[in-house]
Amino acid sequence: MGAIWVVGEPGTDGRLAKLSTEVATLARELGASAGRTVTGIVVAAEPAAAAAELAEYVPRVLSITDPRAGDHTWSTIAAAVIAGLLESGETEAPELTLMGASADGRDLAGFVSALCGLGVLTNATSVAWGQAGVVVEMSAFGGKLQTTSGFTGGGGIVTVRPSVVTAAPAASAGTVETREPVSDEPLRPVKVVERVSEAGPAAAIEEARIIVSGGRGVGGPDGFHLVGELAGVLGGAVGASRAAVDSGWINYSQQIGQTGKIVRPELYLALGISGAIQHKVGMQAAGTIVAVNRDPDAPIAEFADLLVVGDLFEVGGALLEQLRARPSAPPS
Amino acid sequence: MHIVVLVKPVPDPASGGERLGPDGRLDRAAVPAVVNGNDEYALEAALKLTAAGPEGSSVTLLSMAPGSAPETMRKALAMGAARGVHVTDPALAGSCAVSTARVLAAALGAMAFDLVLAGVDTSDGVGGTIPAAVAAHLGLPLLSYATRIEPDEPAGSVRVRRISATGYDLLEAPMPAVISCTQALGEPRYPSLKGIMGARSKEIVTRSLGDIGLDPSSVGGGVATTQVLGSTVPPRRGATEVVRGTAQEGAARIIELLTQRRII
Amino acid sequence: MTETNTSPSPYRLTPEQELLRETVRVIADARVAPRAAEIDRTAEFPNDLRELLAKQDILALPFPVELGGVGGDLLSVCLAVEQLSRACATTGLILAGQALSSLPLLLAGSPEQQARWIPRLASGEWLIAFALTEAEAGSDAAAARTMAARDGDDYVITGSKRFITHGSVADLITIFAVTDPAAPRHRRLSCFIVEVPAAGFSVDRLEHKMGLRGSPTAELAFDAVRVPAANRIGEEGDGFGIAMRTFDRSRPGIAAQAVGIAQGALDVAIAYARQRRQFGQRVGDFQMVGAMLADMDARTEAARQLLYKACVEIEAGAPEASRWAAMCKLVAGDTAMQVTTDAVQVLGGYGYIDDFPVERMMRDAKITQIYEGTQQIQRLVIARALLGRDG
Repeated sequence: MGAIWVVGEPGTDGRLAKLSTEVATLARELGASAGRTVTGIVVAAEPAAAAAELAEYVPRVLSITDPRAGDHTWSTIAAAVIAGLLESGETEAPELTLMGASADGRDLAGFVSALCGLGVLTNATSVAWGQAGVVVEMSAFGGKLQTTSGFTGGGGIVTVRPSVVTAAPAASAGTVETREPVSDEPLRPVKVVERVSEAGPAAAIEEARIIVSGGRGVGGPDGFHLVGELAGVLGGAVGASRAAVDSGWINYSQQIGQTGKIVRPELYLALGISGAIQHKVGMQAAGTIVAVNRDPDAPIAEFADLLVVGDLFEVGGALLEQLRARPSAPPS
Repeated sequence: MHIVVLVKPVPDPASGGERLGPDGRLDRAAVPAVVNGNDEYALEAALKLTAAGPEGSSVTLLSMAPGSAPETMRKALAMGAARGVHVTDPALAGSCAVSTARVLAAALGAMAFDLVLAGVDTSDGVGGTIPAAVAAHLGLPLLSYATRIEPDEPAGSVRVRRISATGYDLLEAPMPAVISCTQALGEPRYPSLKGIMGARSKEIVTRSLGDIGLDPSSVGGGVATTQVLGSTVPPRRGATEVVRGTAQEGAARIIELLTQRRII
Repeated sequence: MTETNTSPSPYRLTPEQELLRETVRVIADARVAPRAAEIDRTAEFPNDLRELLAKQDILALPFPVELGGVGGDLLSVCLAVEQLSRACATTGLILAGQALSSLPLLLAGSPEQQARWIPRLASGEWLIAFALTEAEAGSDAAAARTMAARDGDDYVITGSKRFITHGSVADLITIFAVTDPAAPRHRRLSCFIVEVPAAGFSVDRLEHKMGLRGSPTAELAFDAVRVPAANRIGEEGDGFGIAMRTFDRSRPGIAAQAVGIAQGALDVAIAYARQRRQFGQRVGDFQMVGAMLADMDARTEAARQLLYKACVEIEAGAPEASRWAAMCKLVAGDTAMQVTTDAVQVLGGYGYIDDFPVERMMRDAKITQIYEGTQQIQRLVIARALLGRDG
């Protein structure tokens, strides 16, 4: 019976990325339901904090220090280490290797897949055991189809979308073992010359419970003041469609959609967003979708729960006013 | 500056008719094919880089696709690419991502280039693993999720801004290199009408697996590492409630709904 | 091994034409459609869109490659006019007007004349207008009174022209004027190119129109405007013949505009009929509305196919070019009027107000039954082709 590996991706502050806590929770559940061993792997210049955090979710974590990860792209370094581990035979070879479907996770999956000839199933929205191994549910064609897939033999790599499971630590913390990175270097490390922070709308949209999002209809950077104010009063984050990002009104980090972020908030409030398929794929899993749009025929009319036909500044302004006038109640 | 852009024909996302055939593979007859949207952003970036590069700079397209791919490539040629390479072989039907990366790498192995550009992912499968896998096979550096590309030809290196959670990372690597491209690089141009009329005379070279030195039994559907077990059309959301009226009425209805659903 | 040129069935668009149509469709949706309502409301000529058409080589479409053009055939020009007009008839007319007003120069101009003017028309730097109609000479073009009197190496043009599309924004005017009042009706006129501004030339007024409101329609005054003889297109007395040959190729351009307007209105009506619910169902699911949509679609497609066929016949030098041109304009113009009127009906009250574009399209459609020869003139042309002249 093959083991399950889960790769912990270090976040910006040296801690574990939130997505990795979700994937680790999923890995533990898959292991428990089929009696598989689950091993976490953390590769970083200083892996201790992230490894300890990952051990809260899975019984055993390999913590691997590679100083190059500090000033090189992480996925290249991690892929070389993981491919080395897979081929060393020193640890039980896994049937499944799970990682987050983040930018780094996708790069990592591509590298390891090529180096080890392993199949890869991407952007999983569900992973479960079937009769002949693992069954992975994915969304294809911008959400128009849901497919289920499996590996033809020997397992492979699965990248998992954000918000597929809710992260939950294990009843008891696991152990952390340190390992040395293997020395051979099949990949070309890429130097990170500088890491630059750009001030922008603060709240991270992937983790927000409520997202207020603006599109082409917002008309300019000034229009995002209203979007921001609404997000503020609702306690949510600011998102944007590609049209708004392409126009330079807001940072790419806030873009939701095909190549922006994929989000699953409780509420998605779309202001002046037509809801083209490229955007829809990033937000259609939201619990409630409310749209304000002048065009009653905009594609978003087909999948919003509520569409208010009107000028987004008028409706948004009225909404802001009414929200502020409500007796303050703690969020449920 | 010679740039190869990987372009994948995908079912037109605007068509809405995508479906899988009984074999779990895309039913290509059901919908018209277009160049993958993100690949067009890569092409736009490549066209800008070659326009700014020395005389003789050019962009070559590379597709691994069934026989109809040249029709799809024509638009990319009309946008300004100089030529196309089309890898096609009956053995490639049903290829998984592992085969696809291997084939693209083998085709690139026979080509001269400073940079390989590709979209970060494709609109059909949205896997996003191909750029990294191709870089791994070629032993070339991968600079991924690029929002800006600045080659330094005399130094033989390239700098790329890569999106990060808080801003961007500035990456540097020697050329040749593989770069995966985001939409932040800038909106693709429309093909000019002169480009359209000239596209027919541009060469699209067809290569079989034998031409690029691969044994047909080593790639394709026969050795696929993954298989589709089934597909379903996700349930539609409930009917949309449409509210017309004054702004105050619209806002009031929003608050009512959010309160009902205990969101606020 | 290179790509094999699989020859498509001849009754289809070529891959270039398909890509051209698709490209112009995308540009029209993304860049032209969002401007259409404002252009109609302000009645201002959309210079931004004229520049866009120039930048994308769309204005170069009707001109030969050697002179900076794209070398598109008549069908290609019509495909582009149709797609632009689907979003905004005023913008479609920028291309149609440029193409038709250049026809005398393309059909009868000398190589020197073409080399002198066409490159800047193809680049879109210059616009050109076609000045035949006068207040008292509409359908009866040969009755024009504007005079061109020979004076040494020059002609001196005096008179006025009315209903001149782009007359106030053009850099060149293709004008028809009487050089020999005593000649038989069809030998009285000659054709000239006037570069404006010119001494004695003025724009006397701009019409307030029902539709095509962003397209300036001007009354032009010529008060002893001096034009070198080198600007005469063809020989003295050729003017009427040049104008008639122009119509054989210009009427399809207007038919293309009409088909585009009809398709634009149909698209809006379909979207509305899918979304709007009354009595608990989509309005399109009511048989009476569904039948209207079916008729609108069938009529529009019939007009389109006649237009495409006419383009191919005219391009191939069919002897009945005038008949093809008149038939496609007749059918397309009537189709545009009927389909846009029905689209307003499908939308009901919403069709009658400017929240939706169909009322604009209905107003725009009307002109396609009037200009480039009224529908009555088209029937006259067709009947004459059928019957021949008496004696």
